[in-house]
Amino acid sequence: MQFQDAVKKSIEMFLDGKMPEKTAALAESGQLMFTHEYFDLLEEEVLGEPVEKEEEVEDAS
Amino acid sequence: MRPDTPIPGANLLADTRHYAWHRPPDIADYDQAVDFMIKKIDDPYETQMVMAMLQIDAQISTIVSTLLLQSVSVGKFGIDLALLTAGPLARYIEIMAKNANTPYEMGIRDKDEIVITPTLLKQALGIVDPDDEPEMPEEETPALEQPTGGLMTMPDEAVAPQDEQMAMLGGVEEEEELEPEDELS
Repeated sequence: MQFQDAVKKSIEMFLDGKMPEKTAALAESGQLMFTHEYFDLLEEEVLGEPVEKEEEVEDAS
Repeated sequence: MRPDTPIPGANLLADTRHYAWHRPPDIADYDQAVDFMIKKIDDPYETQMVMAMLQIDAQISTIVSTLLLQSVSVGKFGIDLALLTAGPLARYIEIMAKNANTPYEMGIRDKDEIVITPTLLKQALGIVDPDDEPEMPEEETPALEQPTGGLMTMPDEAVAPQDEQMAMLGGVEEEEELEPEDELS
């Protein structure tokens, strides 16, 4: 895997709300500053509008 | 006649302190690394550069990759930490682009994108009945062979499997904890 591909995958994971296991554990315990919530708040603050979150579609079947 | 090759052992005497990969990285903390990169982008010159790249339709993933490689090459942080900071950095540039009303493209695969496979194509053309076609199980990854070229030889096949690579980037679904079975009963 090339560095560029790994960067793309990492971005994809982050935008999906996923983090590596240990990093996610640190984020949950409040030891990390730059989490998803931080950037959502930043976007809200900068753009002045709430961040739209995708609603999870539940399977009716 | 001697070819122009390095003298054996010359590397042990050479002054290689200037190479970033011969000393520990300056930053080894996630928050510090993200903070460093955000401050770097907030520099007026870098901001102009990033916005100019966005305006020439450069993808955000390409910009992030370039910025991270610059920092890795000067020894600010290692490649693994660079990959961890890629997501937050892309998100920050996305916010910048939205704020400046600049159209941007993230450069990652769209989640809703339909991957065209031969089976899907056949179904679309009405060649195969989807009920009659059983799904093929995924092929198992063959076990890696032991390197045979010597103790220090780098095996060509020693690449982490796909699921391990995804796990390192955070792509593992959380497993439900199972209650231990009562072995005595």
